[in-house]
Amino acid sequence: MLDRIVEKNELLELVDELSRERTIIGPVPREEHYFYEAVKNVRELDLGFNYCVYSPKAFLFPPTETLFRFEAQDGSFGATPVLEDRPQAFVGVHPCDINAIRLLDRAFSRDHADEHYLSRRGATFIIGIDCPKACIEGVFCVDMKSNNAEEGFDIMCYPLEDDGKGQVVYGVMFGTKAGREWILYHQAGRAPSVKDERDFKQYQRQKEQAFPRSIPYDVDTLPDLLERSYDSLLWEATARRCYSCGSCNLSCPTCYCFDVYDELDMTLTSGERKREWDGCQLPGFALVAGDHNFRGKAASRLRHRIYRKGKWVREREGISGCVGCARCDRACTAKISSIEIYNQLAEEV
Amino acid sequence: MTTLENPQLNQPSSIYVPEPAEIIKMAKLTEMEMHYELRLADGRPLGQDPGQFVQVSLLGVGECPISLCSSPTRPETFELCIRRVGKVTECLHRLSEGDTIGIRGPLGHGFDVNEMHGKDILIVAGGLGIAPARSLIQYILDERERFGRFFLLYGGRTPQELLFKDDVVRWRENPDVDFHVTVDQPDSGWRGKSGVVTTLFRELPKLDPNETLAVIIGPPIMFKFVVLEILSRRIPQTSIYCSLERQMKCGVGKCGHCQVNNIYVCQEGPVFKYAQLKALRESVE
Ligand SMILES: Cc1cc2nc3c(=O)[nH]c(=O)nc-3n(C[C@H](O)[C@H](O)[C@H](O)COP(=O)(O)OP(=O)(O)OC[C@H]3O[C@@H](n4cnc5c(N)ncnc54)[C@H](O)[C@@H]3O)c2cc1C
Ligand code: SF4
Ligand code: FES
Repeated sequence: MLDRIVEKNELLELVDELSRERTIIGPVPREEHYFYEAVKNVRELDLGFNYCVYSPKAFLFPPTETLFRFEAQDGSFGATPVLEDRPQAFVGVHPCDINAIRLLDRAFSRDHADEHYLSRRGATFIIGIDCPKACIEGVFCVDMKSNNAEEGFDIMCYPLEDDGKGQVVYGVMFGTKAGREWILYHQAGRAPSVKDERDFKQYQRQKEQAFPRSIPYDVDTLPDLLERSYDSLLWEATARRCYSCGSCNLSCPTCYCFDVYDELDMTLTSGERKREWDGCQLPGFALVAGDHNFRGKAASRLRHRIYRKGKWVREREGISGCVGCARCDRACTAKISSIEIYNQLAEEV
Repeated sequence: MTTLENPQLNQPSSIYVPEPAEIIKMAKLTEMEMHYELRLADGRPLGQDPGQFVQVSLLGVGECPISLCSSPTRPETFELCIRRVGKVTECLHRLSEGDTIGIRGPLGHGFDVNEMHGKDILIVAGGLGIAPARSLIQYILDERERFGRFFLLYGGRTPQELLFKDDVVRWRENPDVDFHVTVDQPDSGWRGKSGVVTTLFRELPKLDPNETLAVIIGPPIMFKFVVLEILSRRIPQTSIYCSLERQMKCGVGKCGHCQVNNIYVCQEGPVFKYAQLKALRESVE
C-alpha cells in the first residue's frame, strides 16, 4: 500500500528545504560513475542514477574515525568519547544498500551497542529510491532477495511513471514516523488514488520480470550448501588468483570489520584512539603473537569471506550478509566473482 | 538512585573507552613475563569469572587482550601476567608501580564454575596458558570444599621459563591439589620431571570419566596432544574446556578479528567446550 504520490520536482524542493537542517548526501555523477557525496545544492543530485560505485556506508561508518580523545600526561588519565550526531539525510538509496544498512544496524546494536555507529545512524534520515529493474548487468540482488526493502528507510519512493527526461512520479511509502511527518507536515503530493494503487501493483509485477536470475537455487539453501562445501577445492582453485588486496572488502556495503590504533598529537601528551576499516582478505587479519596465522592462506580467507556473507552473518543477524550488489566482483582486479562462486557451489553437491 | 540522578547518563559514553586502573604491584616473572597487580581507580572489584579477559590500554600506544590470572574470590585487586611480544606489551613492561593503565572488561565468557562444582577437575596448562589457568586454580583452592579431586599439570619449555614459581612451590606442598610440573628442556639445576606435558598423565590416578571436567590451556600445538590424552581416558567432549587465542581489536564482537567460523571468540569465548570447538573448523588448526 502506498502512502502518498509525490513528483520528483516537489521531492527535490522538500530536500532543498531539508538541507537547511541536514547535510544532504546523494548520488552525484563523476565522469562515467556515480558516487555518494555531500552536496551543497540539491541540483547536483541525480536521482535517476543507475548505481553508485560505493554504498553510503562511509557516512555511517567512516573509513577512519576517532573513538575517543585522551590526555596521557604522567599519572593523569582522561578519555572523552567522540560521538558524531550531525543531522544528515541520504537521498536516493537503492534497496540493496538499505538492506545493507539494516544489517549494519543490527550488528552494531546487538550485545555491546556501538554508540559511534548508532549516534550517526540516529541522526540519519533515509530516502530510498526503488529500482524498477536491475541497475547494471552482473548484479544479483534478486537472488539474494534484497532488491526490495521492507524497512530501514524513512520513506521509499517507487518510480511509477518516468518519462525518461527527468519527470518522475513517485509512489511513496513511509517507513518511519519521521518519514511520515516529513511528507505530511509539508503536505507534499497527494493521497494515492485507486488507479495509483493499481499502477503500483503493475509496477511490482513488471519489476518481478525485470531482474534476471543468476543463481540456480534459492538463497535460503545457501547456508546448507556452504556447510557441505568447506573442503571443496573451489576455494583453493579460485584463491590462486587472489592478490589479497582487500578491494572486495573495501567495496562491500556490509563489511564492517575494523582495526584500532592510537595517534598522538605533536605534544605527545594527548591524542586519539581511532578505528579504521580492515579487511578479512588481508594476510595479517587473523595473525596472532608468535606469527601464528589462523587464516594464513588466501583460500581460507576467501572461504571466510564467502561463508561470512552467505552463512554466518545471516545465521547471526537474520539478514543476508550479501545483498547482491556485485561491487566486490567489479572491484576485483583478479576477476574473482562471488556470483561465479555461488554458481560453482551448486555443482558441489 | 533514579536514572536521572546518574550524571554518567548525560555524558556521551562509548564501549571503547577504558577505565583507569592503578598498578599496585609489578614483579618480573621471567625475562619475558611481568606480573601485575591492579586496582580499578574507583576501588570497585572487577568481578571477573575465571577465564575472562580484559582489554588493557596504554593511551597513545594501543590496546591488547590479556587474561585475568587471579580469581574473583580475591576481589581487592586483580592480576595480569603479560608477555612482551610487541608494541603494547613492551610498553607495559616499562611501567612502574603507581602508574595508571586503562582497562575494559571483564570481557568474554570464562569457565562455568557452577557446572564445575562437585566435580573432579583436571587442569592442563602449557606455557603462558598457566596465566588464565591460575584464575581458575585460585578459585578452586579458595572454594576447595565445593570441588572433588583436583589435578593440575603444568608444562614449560625450560625451568627459567616457568611462570609463577612461588605458586609452583606452594602448589607442590599443598595437599588440596595433585600438582605435577615438567619442562621440555631441563638444565643441570632442574630436579623435577622433564618431557612434554602429556608425559605427566602417567602421574594421574584413574579418572572417573563421568565425574571429571578437564581444562586445557596452552599453545595450539599442545592442544591436540593433550585433548587426545584426555579423550583416551574416556572423558566426554562436553566435559573438556579449552581457551582460544585470536587477534582481538574490539573485544566486544564488532571488529571481526577474533572470528572463528560463526563464533566470535571475544564474546562466546575465549573459553569453549571441546564439543563446541570440534564442529568449528580453523579453531585449533
Ligand atoms: C583472550 C586472550 C587472552 C590473552 N591473554 C594473554 C595473557 O594473559 N598474557 C599475555 O601475555 N598475552 C595474552 N594474550 C596475547 C596478547 O593479547 C598479545 O600478545 C598482544 O595482543 C600483543 O600485543 P602487542 O601490541 O604487544 O604486540 P603487537 O605489536 O600487536 O604484535 C605482536 C605480534 O602479534 C602479531 N600481530 C598482531 N597483530 C598483527 C597485525 N595486524 N599484523 C601483523 N602482525 C600482527 C605479530 O605476530 C607480532 O609479532 C591474550 C590474547 C587473547 C586473545
Ligand atoms: S578484490 Fe579480488 S584480489 Fe583483492 S582480495 Fe578480494 S578477491 Fe582477492
Ligand atoms: S575482538 Fe573484535 S570481534 Fe572479537
